[in-house]
Amino acid sequence: MVKAVPFWLRVLAGVFLAFTALLLLAPLVVVVGVSVSESQFIAFPPNGLSLRWYSQVLSSNAYLNAGWISLQIALLVTVLATLIGGAAAIAIHRRQLPFSELWATVFLSPLVLPTIIYAIGMLMFWSAAFGPVNPVVLALSHTVIALPYVVRTTLAVLSESNPYLEEAARTMGANRLQRLWFVVVPQCVPGLAAGAFFAFNISFDEAVLSLFLRGPNLTTLPVQIYGQLEFSPDPSVAAVSTIMIALTIALIVIIDRMLGLTKFASA
Amino acid sequence: MNDRTENLLLALPGLLLLALAFLLPIGQMLALSISGPDGPTLDHFVRFLSDPYYLGVLWRTVRLSFLITLICGAIGFPLAYIMTKVGPRLRLWLVVMVILPLMTSVVVRTFGWMVLLSRSGLIPQMLRDFDLVGRNFALMQTEIAIVVGMVQVLLPFMTLSILGVLTRIDGRLEEAARTMGCSFLQTVRTVVLPLALPGIVAGSLLCFTLSASSFVTPNLLGGSRIQVLAASIYRSVTSAPDWPFAAAQAVILFVGILLVLLPYIKLTGGKNG
Repeated sequence: MVKAVPFWLRVLAGVFLAFTALLLLAPLVVVVGVSVSESQFIAFPPNGLSLRWYSQVLSSNAYLNAGWISLQIALLVTVLATLIGGAAAIAIHRRQLPFSELWATVFLSPLVLPTIIYAIGMLMFWSAAFGPVNPVVLALSHTVIALPYVVRTTLAVLSESNPYLEEAARTMGANRLQRLWFVVVPQCVPGLAAGAFFAFNISFDEAVLSLFLRGPNLTTLPVQIYGQLEFSPDPSVAAVSTIMIALTIALIVIIDRMLGLTKFASA
Repeated sequence: MNDRTENLLLALPGLLLLALAFLLPIGQMLALSISGPDGPTLDHFVRFLSDPYYLGVLWRTVRLSFLITLICGAIGFPLAYIMTKVGPRLRLWLVVMVILPLMTSVVVRTFGWMVLLSRSGLIPQMLRDFDLVGRNFALMQTEIAIVVGMVQVLLPFMTLSILGVLTRIDGRLEEAARTMGCSFLQTVRTVVLPLALPGIVAGSLLCFTLSASSFVTPNLLGGSRIQVLAASIYRSVTSAPDWPFAAAQAVILFVGILLVLLPYIKLTGGKNG
């Protein structure tokens, strides 16, 4: 802190940080705590220590199926969003399209529209036009809401890139495809990578679209958890949730190693 | 092939996706909201706006969203300010503290609150032990539970919005204010706060929009008696299917949010997305 900050204010800041940490992290700590409890019932602080709920989750078909579907959809979304969003970001960055200012807004618009409004539109449109939903529809809708993140991170990286590199490649005789692949794309990689992690995280954790577009054979992990919470929560929900938290922590560590979390948070 | 064709080709998949899987569905929803058995009608809107129950739902949504946004701002600003002042190590931990909940599924976080706030949960238990409340005190299925849960869900958005602006403020401005005789609090009030205003406004709009349109947390923490607009939309789609009515409610939510957003977009020329 700046010098000459009164002592009482430092103490106050410390108390405030502790309170905020409690508010932000308490729900996660509680979930992890419940997951290792021995008792039949959801209880915090946990009584006893056991991993029985984890073994129950890993032998439960409902959870395994939901997890497998979530993973497949999230991977598909990651690939689609990164390819489509990356290509769009490159085109937007060059500013050679007609109405060039408008394009960024168009591609970021799914960010502004509340997901529930989009979800209900998607459900109605799809049911009216094609009948029951399928995993590809859900993946496409996740791609739409993940797209702005990829476009944003890639544009941020491109805005700091050197515009003359492409000129140089052109002068040296590289054709369009070579310029794109050997000059432009490598410069985009940090942005594409960050966007890809975001896309995976968004799709894997997303509950609103997945709830509206669910079907008998189309239940993602968050939807499965939501259903359990509405009717009969037991500590196995906590075990699945803990696995999801662990996955999130892994993603954060990777992002920090690759790009630096602090820079990324204040961007 | 010229430059323009190349760029069009690059943007084409994205444009197709947005047109077919984003604009078209929203158009379909708008059309459905005014569809009736005999041609276009505004019946669904009239039904919503003339029913005291639904007006109550709307009012609760606005009231709670406003309160949640206010609390997020009151915690988010000091948090972001402290984050810019501490050393790099502590800052990294604080960033993790903010990002970890942000990237965890809302369903999981709400579950945590369900455990903490339930009748036998830690928080009501503690309040009872200290004799602060009566024996029949309950937190689950109350508006307080919704507010607490939603503040935890939305605080990271507010904090990061403000942090983005605060990190770009020239630190010498504060030093100058201190040298000229401002106390610490005066400096924050007259220098930092006005400069951080764009971040606070952007964060507030984001919080308000997200809080008005979320239903997972309010549904699980508030139960079926305390409905908010988004939960009511979800119910109109699932338990008692009435799609045109659900579409009309979604349009009302959309228009409400636009009314909040438009002055801001005008003000900033749409620069901050």
